[in-house]
Amino acid sequence: MDFSWSTTQLAYKAKIISFAEANFSESFIKEDQEATFTRANWEKCAAFGLLGLSTTTAYGGATDKVDILTSTIAMEGLGYACKDNGLPFALNAQMWTVQYPILEFGSEAQKKKYLPKMCSGEWIGCHGLTEPNAGSDVFSMEMTATKVNGGYLLNGTKQHITMAPVADVFLIFAKTNPKLGAWGISVFIVDKNTKGLTIGKNRPKMGLRTVPFGNLTFKDCFIADTNRLGKEGAGWAITNSSLEYDRCTILAGQLGAMEKQLEDTIAFVKNRKQYNKPISQFQAISHRVADMRLRLETSRLLLQKVAWLKSEGKPATLESAMLKLQLSESFVASSLDAIRCNGGRGYITEHGVERDLRDAVGSIIYAGTSDIQKNIIAKLLGL
Amino acid sequence: MEAVLLNYITQLTHEQLDTPLTVDDDLLGSGILDSIGMMKLVSFIETELSMVIPPEDILIENFMTVKHIITYLKTT
Ligand SMILES: Cc1cc2nc3c(=O)[nH]c(=O)nc-3n(C[C@H](O)[C@H](O)[C@H](O)COP(=O)(O)OP(=O)(O)OC[C@H]3O[C@@H](n4cnc5c(N)ncnc54)[C@H](O)[C@@H]3O)c2cc1C
Repeated sequence: MDFSWSTTQLAYKAKIISFAEANFSESFIKEDQEATFTRANWEKCAAFGLLGLSTTTAYGGATDKVDILTSTIAMEGLGYACKDNGLPFALNAQMWTVQYPILEFGSEAQKKKYLPKMCSGEWIGCHGLTEPNAGSDVFSMEMTATKVNGGYLLNGTKQHITMAPVADVFLIFAKTNPKLGAWGISVFIVDKNTKGLTIGKNRPKMGLRTVPFGNLTFKDCFIADTNRLGKEGAGWAITNSSLEYDRCTILAGQLGAMEKQLEDTIAFVKNRKQYNKPISQFQAISHRVADMRLRLETSRLLLQKVAWLKSEGKPATLESAMLKLQLSESFVASSLDAIRCNGGRGYITEHGVERDLRDAVGSIIYAGTSDIQKNIIAKLLGL
Repeated sequence: MEAVLLNYITQLTHEQLDTPLTVDDDLLGSGILDSIGMMKLVSFIETELSMVIPPEDILIENFMTVKHIITYLKTT
């Protein structure tokens, strides 16, 4: 068994860390408080080539073949050095839930039209699955796409959509055959200025506040047949094909943030003195840090296993559910431990410690809550 | 192949079917296979029957019944 990365992969990670340290090492406190998205930072990542990781060179991407292992280590590097946890999250949301499905299922014309502009940062894409009455039970969605001459009429509402308020391209799931449940869902690529589409304002949230988040409403919104992604009824396959890639890379960004959080915590507890000695010498503190290290390691091992399985073209349903559960819950637990170790300092915004906790909570909800991951694991165990 | 598929899908349902599964039973509409069941079936076909199922082929017209699956696999 070989867990080592190649020298090329490690060099790429180091290059990304230098890039992020040079560009994203400010505190982002103002942007976080004011819930502002900085498009210039998005464009810097695009210019560096990060948005090309999920797309092939023929369509403006970075490689001849999408390489999940390299993408994972790249995102770990970005998560480690970028002080804004929202940026890696949002980049990955577009790369794996918009670009990758278009690469896998799109027609030649769709790939040529949408992918180069998303890789270059000119266009931003978002993925609209969740609805007011369809969250975890997402295939019970109510949004419909009714066949009309030359296309479909979309009607319904999507909510909690990452990047929706600033997006140019919307990947929208709707029922083309409501009688078939999950098998009657199709996907449409909707352009920003389409008549009948209303884009909601940014809805500020607990964490990941630099990432705009909003609702979309569709009223008799006409989408041409040429903008259906894949065949009618391919919605289930489209969601599932990118899910494990999305999990690896979004969570890799968080793993990087956990690594930095651990380093910062160790440095602080060695330096901070109470009762005439560094607080690291109190076992309550050192054990807490040991727990943080263990969570980092178990999360990393699961992440590497899923990325490796995907790179081998193997299924990873069970492993990716365990990864999502373990890494997201670990980030929440370790973020709380980091605050405990920092005492009052950890609770004060200007030190940037408390923000990780707020950012981490999103990950136990999006892309399937922790309860849903446990359901999947249990089901796969035959329960 | 028919017996292998019927047997595997029956196993996936944890023997909860009232009557033995037939090649014409609607696997998806009736809920015999849910999302996870479908993922397991695809992975089973790929590993045990050494066939590749591209994601774009995972559609109701190819997977509605065991008969549909066999017809689809024969054409690939
Ligand atoms: C930061 C963030 C970004 C997001 N980005 C996107 C996006 O880009 N696109 C998109 O489409 N959606 C997005 N979402 C939405 C997200 O996918 C949903 O919030 C999530 O699937 C949960 O759905 P819900 O919020 O409706 O909660 P519900 O499904 O209503 O769940 C409420 C509670 O019930 C529990 N529950 C529900 N069903 C079960 C069950 N069967 N067993 C046990 N417990 C259960 C849940 O675990 C949860 O605790 C995002 C969410 C967040 C927080």
